[in-house]
Amino acid sequence: MRKDSPAARFWAEFRESKVAVAALAVVVALVGVALLAPLIAPQDPYDLAKLALMDARRPPGYVGSGGYTHWLGTDAQGRDLFSAILYGLRISLQMGLVAGAIAFAVGVTLGISAAYLGGRREAFIMRVIDLQLAFPAILLALVISALLGQGKAQLIAALAAAQYAYFARTAHGAASAERGKDYVEAALSTPLPARQVVWRHILPNCLPPLIVVATVQVANAIALEATLSFLGVGLPVTEPSLGALIANGFQYMLSGRYWISIYPGLALILLIVAINLVGDQVRDQVNPRLKR
Amino acid sequence: MRRWWRAGRNELSSRNLRVPFDRLAVTRGRGCEDHPGNVQLMLTHVIERILQALVVMLVMSALVFVGVYAIGNPIDVLIGPDVSQDIRLETIARYGLDRPLWEQYFTFLGRVLHGDFGRSFVFGMPVLELILSRLPATLELTVAAVVGAALIGIPTGIYAGYRPDSALAKTIMAISILGFSVPTFWIGLVLIMTFAVELQILPAGGRGDTAALFGIEWSFLTANGLSHMLLPAANLAFFKLALMTRLARAGTREVMLSDTVKFARAAGLSEWTVLRRHVLRLISIPLVTVFGLEFASTLAFAVVTETIFSWPGIGKLIIDSIQSLDRPVMVAYLMLVAFVFIMINFVVDLTYFALDPRLRKGRA
Amino acid sequence: MTDAPLLEVTDLSTHFFTRAGVVKAVDGVSFSLRRGEVMGLVGESGSGKSVTGFSIIGLIDPPGRVAAGSVKLEGREITGLPQEELRALRGKTVSMVFQDPLMTLNPVLTIGEQIRLALEAHQRVSAAEARRRAIEGLAQVRIPSPQATVDLYPHQLSGGMRQRVAIAIALLHRPKLIICDEPTTALDVSIQAEILAEMKELVAELGTALIWISHDLATVASIAQHVAVMRLGEIVEAGPMLDVLTRPQHPYTRALLDALPSRAEPGTYLLRGGGVPDAAPPPRLPAAEAEPAGDEAAPYFVLDGVSKRFEARTGALRAMAERLGLAKPPVSVLAVDSVSLTVRRGEALGLVGESGSGKSTLGRMAAGIYAPSAGTVRLSGRPVMSAGETPRKLTTRVQTIFQDPFASLDPRMRIGDSISEGPRAHGLVGKAEAEAYVRDWLGAVGLDPAFAGRYPHQFSGGQRQRVAIARALAMQPDLVICDEPVASLDVSIQAQILNLLMRLRSELGLTLIFISHDLSVVRHLCERVAVMYRGRIVEEGPAAEVYDRPQHDYTKRLLAAVPVLPAAAATGG
Repeated sequence: MRKDSPAARFWAEFRESKVAVAALAVVVALVGVALLAPLIAPQDPYDLAKLALMDARRPPGYVGSGGYTHWLGTDAQGRDLFSAILYGLRISLQMGLVAGAIAFAVGVTLGISAAYLGGRREAFIMRVIDLQLAFPAILLALVISALLGQGKAQLIAALAAAQYAYFARTAHGAASAERGKDYVEAALSTPLPARQVVWRHILPNCLPPLIVVATVQVANAIALEATLSFLGVGLPVTEPSLGALIANGFQYMLSGRYWISIYPGLALILLIVAINLVGDQVRDQVNPRLKR
Repeated sequence: MRRWWRAGRNELSSRNLRVPFDRLAVTRGRGCEDHPGNVQLMLTHVIERILQALVVMLVMSALVFVGVYAIGNPIDVLIGPDVSQDIRLETIARYGLDRPLWEQYFTFLGRVLHGDFGRSFVFGMPVLELILSRLPATLELTVAAVVGAALIGIPTGIYAGYRPDSALAKTIMAISILGFSVPTFWIGLVLIMTFAVELQILPAGGRGDTAALFGIEWSFLTANGLSHMLLPAANLAFFKLALMTRLARAGTREVMLSDTVKFARAAGLSEWTVLRRHVLRLISIPLVTVFGLEFASTLAFAVVTETIFSWPGIGKLIIDSIQSLDRPVMVAYLMLVAFVFIMINFVVDLTYFALDPRLRKGRA
Repeated sequence: MTDAPLLEVTDLSTHFFTRAGVVKAVDGVSFSLRRGEVMGLVGESGSGKSVTGFSIIGLIDPPGRVAAGSVKLEGREITGLPQEELRALRGKTVSMVFQDPLMTLNPVLTIGEQIRLALEAHQRVSAAEARRRAIEGLAQVRIPSPQATVDLYPHQLSGGMRQRVAIAIALLHRPKLIICDEPTTALDVSIQAEILAEMKELVAELGTALIWISHDLATVASIAQHVAVMRLGEIVEAGPMLDVLTRPQHPYTRALLDALPSRAEPGTYLLRGGGVPDAAPPPRLPAAEAEPAGDEAAPYFVLDGVSKRFEARTGALRAMAERLGLAKPPVSVLAVDSVSLTVRRGEALGLVGESGSGKSTLGRMAAGIYAPSAGTVRLSGRPVMSAGETPRKLTTRVQTIFQDPFASLDPRMRIGDSISEGPRAHGLVGKAEAEAYVRDWLGAVGLDPAFAGRYPHQFSGGQRQRVAIARALAMQPDLVICDEPVASLDVSIQAQILNLLMRLRSELGLTLIFISHDLSVVRHLCERVAVMYRGRIVEEGPAAEVYDRPQHDYTKRLLAAVPVLPAAAATGG
């Protein structure tokens, strides 16, 4: 990256916000921890053989039969909560990122094609998208995952189906705005091939608002996945995401065993808040109306 | 002229607050009959929207029908596995399940046109009746949450946008990003833990006592009902509150930088007048949009809150019917939500027409 | 009445404290103004003239503030006054009018409401009284039917009417001083002439002092008694208008005047255009000849009865509703109405007209950006665009230079790539030669060839326009359509770009279609001129003839509306 490129300028401006940089660091750290979970976690929470019922629902600081301290306590199955959170983080991130990436690819392709095609085809695509946007994402994801059943792939499909429309709408809006700009008209009057105008000129200039939507939507996908798991239509209990961990602990909350729900919740919130803070800074940076 | 707000609205619903504020705005409900041609324009608009709504409902009904009915086999839910083959076949014939899908759809559509959504497999009562009996509970929760969020969120947001660099504004924004990020169900858990388990000052679930008004039972009419409503309403309002605050702030910030405000100041208008007469009116279009849209999506989000607080509304109903595969209830619920969304969009549209003089025609 | 000055500005310095450092937008400005006097404040962009105006009225937004100096209004020091006392002065004693009335008036309040708010800022008025005063104020600024106008919204008024409303609001409390910041820049020349004349009468009638801030020497000359010329935050020259404009002392003032095409012989290089690059454009590439030449005998470039109608797009449902008579079809706009025009090889044709005349739309049809709704555009007998559902441009021999060089270059592409992508896409140059080709063109437009790796944001407006010219010419066109190529540039930069265009035209034997609202620029550059009005060409002919003996009423009005500078004495011309 050359130091005078638009991306470098963007980074320089981003760096001025200490909060955003800190949030980015948290996101990177959480992703790192999630990737390295098998190395860091004291226990493999999926290995049922290692779980002992006598260790179940123990408070933070309890020294279990495995011989090590459960700093965050244990859950109803006797899993070390810290390990479970690391692995849950892994699943939550995986769901959010994969669903986000699929939604991004599908949505952006649809949105930009619509803007470029124009005419009736554009009207049709955008009508369908609008129709879907008129329906709350959570309901859509709920119904789709209820229909498809439990499982990672099914959940990702439900999340992506609920979210691609936001990318399509944003990409379409940005591309329509770019299409009317002088530099696109200049490219058309050269004339450059349509494909080149779309991919080399319009798409790169649509990226800033799309990045904003992408951060928000990844955060949303993670929250949505947690909500679905909480409602019992998400992932199977054998591979709990953060949301499933929280849901599992919910029933013990009224009896005062707060840690089973609260600690996974804090991890989830840390992740989502950090992503949203990054997105917030990016949003301010790409908003031309705040530049005077 | 009409494109920008469409884009703006949909971005909003994606929690993306980039609304074009520079040229947006509103005036107090001056009727459309001020300028010749407005009535005609309005009528055109209304007719167009009704046609659109009809098509959307038709498409929705087909999608919902195919989605819910074509996947899986409802017969397994209707009767037990140990029933004789004769009864099985008879049941299939009675529900018309041996007919081709399109025929089943048109039968369904014909019945829906007469207000018959079928019977719930689980409750054994007509679905429409079932849903209507649960609707008031959800409605009062939703209204309380959205109105409360607007009343608190908008003034706070305007302040944060007016003094963006003040410590208070930064605190408001920090809290709002939290409200924006923390999943609704988790806030619900924390609320229960704090107020119901630890402090034991508010009930953890249920609707409490109700009182009748227009023949419908409402919780907000009794003190006990209100105390039951407080936590779920707060839970549901939290996200909306953050959204309204952020939206009002973003709008205020942009309007404060505009030439309109600079010109008003140059004419000697006081800051209070600038805020009240210019800023508030200029930011109210996106606010009205969010208010409408959020009202609708709150109905959907009530699913989560009602589950946590065991609030007997339609959200709880749909979750239960998804778990018990009560298909007629699912179909009716989804159609109802679609209908509510269309109606709210319609009302928001008409509000725009009343609020933004630029959408009305006529040049001097 | 005393002889004491109404306004006395001494050593005013307004600085902006940004993260990148302190920007001294206004740096030690002093002047004074007597009651009823009209002063013009002239300068190019970034000279600090607007900031001076805002400093006087106390409306500098953070991070800027008045760092030093004093502003005395009627002998009273007003810098450092508490906000509430400043507010009491604003609108009452000193008021301001801004550049773009579309941005300054609140789009959702009626004119009457906006006037009432301004009235209530300084006195208590009843609703009926406010309405009466509003109508009175609108009548004062020559708004034809003030009773009806009070109930309208800004978008229902034309640009000139909107600016009159803004002036009415500024005059509401009979202020002693009005500051007008580029008040006619966003307006057409004929509306500008009206506003200038009215403003002159109004201030004379009311005895109001006026500070007229403008980049345009000619408008200032037609209203001001005194002129101050600003440059980089300082006043370089000030004095009576005639003295400054006819016998300028400071070299900067002289340079500004010399850069004006209206003071030069048509077709000659402008005196202060300077910096004519030495590098010749690269030779014509053999690949550029690959395109069939067409019919040599046919007229060179022909617009044959072209029209452009813009229609709102409607969906299938809407169309159905229209057919059933339930909805009215949307309004369509006929931007260009069957225009026929022939351009000879090597000629420069000027296309002049005010905003909304359709000149840009016509230019875009000529350039192959828009497909005409009717008629054809032909180069040497061959159509510029294909027919059919999705028309494509067929030729590379027609290229375009756009108005705003900030918008016409892709902000995310290095300028070298912007210049080479067209020639490479059409096989004019291969990947290997592209770099050298770009360097040659950068040299030919007077830029350092090493700039090829930079992004547009690293260039000034004038430099970007040079890049845009290089990009268009690198396609080896025969005909170049220039759409207001100098409209967003300062006069000194404008002179440079005009000189560059003239030189490249003669070196490359280009044919030009030059679209502009600025009559003096067209007169300077073009041999022939066509005047557009409401989508039609109302007059066409040799430039000298049209300018000296206009036939059509519209052309006559247009020419009469152009403000003129007093004849120069010292600089000749």
